[in-house]
Amino acid sequence: MKNRLKVLRAERNWSQQALADELGVSRQSVNAIETGRYDPSLPLAFQIAEVFGMAIEEIFSRD
Amino acid sequence: MSTTKTGLGARPGLWVGLILGTCGLIFGLKASGAINDTTTLLLAIVPTALLFALFRSLANQRENRCGSTSQAGKRYIFGIMATSIAYVLGLGVAMWVFRNLDPSVELTWLLAMLPIAPILAMIFVMGRYIVEEQDEYLRHRAIMASLIGLGFVLAIGSFWGFLETFELVPHVPGWWAVPIWAMGMGLGQAWQSMRHKVGPVDEE
Repeated sequence: MKNRLKVLRAERNWSQQALADELGVSRQSVNAIETGRYDPSLPLAFQIAEVFGMAIEEIFSRD
Repeated sequence: MSTTKTGLGARPGLWVGLILGTCGLIFGLKASGAINDTTTLLLAIVPTALLFALFRSLANQRENRCGSTSQAGKRYIFGIMATSIAYVLGLGVAMWVFRNLDPSVELTWLLAMLPIAPILAMIFVMGRYIVEEQDEYLRHRAIMASLIGLGFVLAIGSFWGFLETFELVPHVPGWWAVPIWAMGMGLGQAWQSMRHKVGPVDEE
C-alpha cells in the first residue's frame, strides 16, 4: 500500500513523534508506516484518518 | 517530545562486550584449573551484575528509538531481567551443589527446578508481552522475532537430532532449545532493526 502520511505530516509541520503521540503509538511505528514497511491495521488506519480529518482512501491507496 | 538518553546508559553493545569478556575470563580461568568451582560461582556474580546494566541500557535504547517505552515494554524488560538473573543464579547454585555435595535424589529434583522455573517464567514473560503490547507494529516485530527464534530451534534441532541418530555428533541436552530460541529472537530483532534503518530517519 502507498500512503501520503509524510506529505500530510509535513503540511501540518508535525514531527513523527508528535503524530505518534497523537495516535498513541511509537515513533518507530509512524516511521514504518510512512516508509511503507508496515501496513497498519484497519482500526489504526481509521485512527490516522481521524487525526488528519480525512477519509482513509485519501491517505492510503493501492500500489 | 522524549529526551534522548546518551552515554554508557544507551550502549548495550558495551555491556554485552563486558559480559562476554568477563564470562570468557572466568571460563578461561576455570578451564586452566586456576580457580575451583566455588571461586567460579563467586566470580559469576560479576557478569550477573553486569546484566542489570545491560537491561537498563536496552530500556534506554528502546526509549530513544521508540519515543517512549510502553507499560508492556517496561514489564517485559523487568521480567526478562529478573528471570535471566534468577536463571544464572539458579543454574550456578544447582550445578555447584550437584557437583560438590552429593545430594539425595529428592534434593536433585529440587535442584533441577532452580534453572527450570526461571526458564518457564521467561517464556511466560515473552507471551505476556505479545498479549499486552498495545503498539501493533512493535507487537508485529516481537511476533516475527519469536517466529524466527522458533525457526532456529526447529532447524538446528532437526539437523543436530538426525546427525545424533546416525551417531555422527555427540548428544546435546534438550535445554539448549531456549538459548537457541533466544539467540534466534535476538538475531530476528537485529535483522528487523537493520531493515528499519534503511528508511529515512525521523524528521522533526
